[in-house]
Amino acid sequence: MPSKSVAPFGATRIAAAMLTLLTGAVAAQESLPRLAVETYPPPAREQIGRVYQKAEAARDNAAAVGALARVLHAWSQWEPAHQTYARAQALAPGTFEWHYLDGFVLERLTRHAEAAEQFRQAAALSPSYLPARVKLAEELLEAGDREHSAPLFQQLARDPAAEPAAELGLGRIAALDGRHDAAIAHLERATTLFPQFGAAYYALARSYRAVGRLDDAQRALARQTQYGPQWPAIGDPVLAGVLALREDASALMDRGIKAAEAGDVAAAIAAHEAALEANPELVQAHVNLISLYGRAGKRAKAEEHYRAVVARGVSLDVAHYDYGVLLGMENDWDGAADAYRKAIAVNPNHVRARNNLGQILERQQKLQEAADQYRRAVDIQPTFRVARFNLGRMLIALGRPQEAIHEFERLVEQRDAETPTYLYALATAHVRSGHLAEGARLAAQARDLARDYGQSELAAAIDRDLARIK
Amino acid sequence: MIPRACILALAIATLASPPPDPLFIDAARVTGLDFTHVNGASGRYYIAEEMGAGVALFDYDSDGDLDVFLVQGGPLVPGRASLQAGQGGEASLQAGQGSEASLKAGPTSRLFRNDLTRDANGKPRVHFTDVTAQAGVGLRGYGMGAAVGDYDNDGDLDLFVTTFGPDTLFRNNGNGTFTDVTASAGVSDDLWSTSATFFDYDRDGDLDLFVANYLDFTLAGNKACVDSLGAPDYCGPRLYEPVPDKLYRNDGGRFTNVTDAAGLTKAYGAGLGVVAGDFNHDGWLDLYVANDARPNQLWINRHDGTFIDEGLLSGSAVNAAGNPEGSMGIASGDFDNDGDEDLLITNILGETFVLYRNDGHGVFEDVRAATGIGAATGGMTGFGTAWLDYDNDGWLDLFVANGAVNTIESQRGQTSPLKMKNQLFRNDGAGRFADVSAVAGPPFERADVGRGAAFGDIDNDGDIDIVVTANGGPVQLLLNQNATGHHWLELALRQGSGNRFGVGARVGVERSGKPALWGRVHTDGSYLSSSDVRLHFGLGDAATISGVIVEWPDGTRERWSDVPVDRLVELTQGKGLK
Repeated sequence: MPSKSVAPFGATRIAAAMLTLLTGAVAAQESLPRLAVETYPPPAREQIGRVYQKAEAARDNAAAVGALARVLHAWSQWEPAHQTYARAQALAPGTFEWHYLDGFVLERLTRHAEAAEQFRQAAALSPSYLPARVKLAEELLEAGDREHSAPLFQQLARDPAAEPAAELGLGRIAALDGRHDAAIAHLERATTLFPQFGAAYYALARSYRAVGRLDDAQRALARQTQYGPQWPAIGDPVLAGVLALREDASALMDRGIKAAEAGDVAAAIAAHEAALEANPELVQAHVNLISLYGRAGKRAKAEEHYRAVVARGVSLDVAHYDYGVLLGMENDWDGAADAYRKAIAVNPNHVRARNNLGQILERQQKLQEAADQYRRAVDIQPTFRVARFNLGRMLIALGRPQEAIHEFERLVEQRDAETPTYLYALATAHVRSGHLAEGARLAAQARDLARDYGQSELAAAIDRDLARIK
Repeated sequence: MIPRACILALAIATLASPPPDPLFIDAARVTGLDFTHVNGASGRYYIAEEMGAGVALFDYDSDGDLDVFLVQGGPLVPGRASLQAGQGGEASLQAGQGSEASLKAGPTSRLFRNDLTRDANGKPRVHFTDVTAQAGVGLRGYGMGAAVGDYDNDGDLDLFVTTFGPDTLFRNNGNGTFTDVTASAGVSDDLWSTSATFFDYDRDGDLDLFVANYLDFTLAGNKACVDSLGAPDYCGPRLYEPVPDKLYRNDGGRFTNVTDAAGLTKAYGAGLGVVAGDFNHDGWLDLYVANDARPNQLWINRHDGTFIDEGLLSGSAVNAAGNPEGSMGIASGDFDNDGDEDLLITNILGETFVLYRNDGHGVFEDVRAATGIGAATGGMTGFGTAWLDYDNDGWLDLFVANGAVNTIESQRGQTSPLKMKNQLFRNDGAGRFADVSAVAGPPFERADVGRGAAFGDIDNDGDIDIVVTANGGPVQLLLNQNATGHHWLELALRQGSGNRFGVGARVGVERSGKPALWGRVHTDGSYLSSSDVRLHFGLGDAATISGVIVEWPDGTRERWSDVPVDRLVELTQGKGLK
């Protein structure tokens, strides 16, 4: 058994630490960070190095120091960005931008109380800049200061642009205080104002549960799952200016991805091609361009990028899969099937490739093989509903409706916009099994649910089938 | 500015007083616990390389002290030795090329027997002997985690090892050896398994097995990612799809996959941590699964062989904004001494760790800000963790093994730019935690790529010690040097038949004038690791206790009075004290 060690806690170390603290504290607080720029990859080294050199040469120049802070912020270098913003604040205390942007950096460092203080100073310097007041209220809440965040949210609720976020804040505060009825009122208002507000639906679900409204809670959770992290946007040119500072390949590709999500395929392609011009080895850009050119109807270009990915030997399952989708869009079913098989060879758990391959096998009337692919997909990913639905259809086509009933029953356990279709399929399986009354009952249920979800065509189709059954 | 004379006086005063003894010391090397994890770092940034591996603390030879099983990784690319030095650049290859030959000669998981003795003064002396070969547990493969439990109810502890690939169940033969019974037991698949737990979910007296599974990653399907500055780095879990966890029901030594029948295929994420506990206090064991970048699951036992996921509505699945966090390790225990099981989840850098306080009915409140945990952990990526009363004052403290998964900016250019310091938090008994890492001893000054952690009284001196693994690095044995003089009690439960170690039993230590201390017999939680099946309670200054209550897994309740303290006591169901 070793003797207890005392050296690491020697008094010398303690005294040295104290001396360092006392004599160095003031200087450290306002100094520029030391950056090992020479270790950065080229695009970062070039851009950060340039502004770093200028800031070092003009350490007392707030503009030069602030420019460095903004670039470090753009490159997600949080600690050095905060240190640099702090120096810029010391040099120019009355500048809104340095406090406001530092607040975002501190938020990323999860130093919420400090972030709130920076937003407070920013809001004091520019009271009309709405995003600063919103961030202040939010960071106070994150720091646990409900007492001061509540009145801020109440003020913000009077501004239409900030009202959804304010109602969410007020709702969360009420819930934390145990006032769930009040919380529900605020949160329902938030989701009325911004119907894709995932965070508000989540908070709403919890408050519904607290008051015993379990069905409402489940519905709210379904919405939260559907919309995810969407947040009501408030125009913020100051922050946007920082994010626009980067022109490297990754930043260009990110812009391309956002353009694609917004439906602007041409802009997405342009951004991705620009990214590749900056860095031809950005494999993900090649991967994304396979599907983007596919959407644009440019098969040759899509193939070019597909071959580029394959040559680099990464993301192979994704590349094969996307290429398969492209070929399917052009009705090259054999080619698509071949691509999906390659994806599965790389990743046997690629359930979407299996599902899509199953659909091609259906076209080729190879129903059992199709069913096997669907079965494998749901065995790997039991929550893959589309594949389970396809499996059920195949089982009906193969004359095994009783097995199909089992699969469709699994699908209707969850209630959402897809459920009417699955219920209708379940009804069909029952009818095929000879259970006419049960089939009719379920079909009527499916029709009513379809109407609830505004699916009038489906409801009409079910009505026609019901008439035939009767 | 303080005058120089004052600074000098202060320094002299400090020099004069003796420094405090460290709370923990690293005794791995001196005790013979010689093990270095091999992560197979290939330069291709396979996500599997950053996971590390776990450790099991269990008395495999039933001689009364804890032995150590360490899970090993290895080369991920056949024919290519590990670039153990790290990623990027031209890191040198270790010797030993060749395809099948290198695999057959590669590193294995290891079992170290604890040959605990006492010196002439009665002081414990720990010494470990590598018994891997004779025990037959030298598993060669890309190992992940270890779970321990007496699945065949023969009175000794068996071992389940998860891997990036097929898993292995070792049956303890009771004579210092193990037999691989995976095939006959029916517990394995090719999914990437991580943490696992043996627990009796159907209360039929034998231990069932839950295995958390991670992602659908394959070497051939590896993706290329970059860090914030554009340098190659590991991809995150969101770029891959999660794969379902598995529940195997124990049917008398053979297992049946009941995952679907139990309802556990209705929700899953990228599982990394798992713990069994009775979170809604209805007498049946539930499950909590920590998922990486996906909502966590709180599987509530419905008493009929099925579970329902209450994670989202219970408040324990995502953060307040409804977003999942990068959850890895779990600590389950009663940190506020109100009789229920609270949860501490370790998350990734930039998220903070979350402390979910249980209201006693399975509804949780996120109290990371109120308790101080949040503020102290935003700069950390945490893995192995557990509640432990390190100073025996009657309040559960917290240990976390930290280590990054992406390049730390201040370490850019170094061979392993992922190093972080572990943390020790002291519970002040008033709802807040203080980070006492700075005074916890030399092991807490060292930065490493921490991953698994297992907890138990290795030297049988009445305080909890810790074994910590490092990704691609040496194991640490943190021996607790607790000198508070506080009283303690350790309990080993025994049942005559079925679930012989009483896994899942809830135990309460009654104290005069204070709330009872409650704990659960378990080996799970943490990350990829398995801890001592014995229970430990710190008693502070109380030299006596009023009694001990055991709520056995079969639903019966028993109470003992006149239980002595400052020792290990064995409680046998229906048979009184031993």
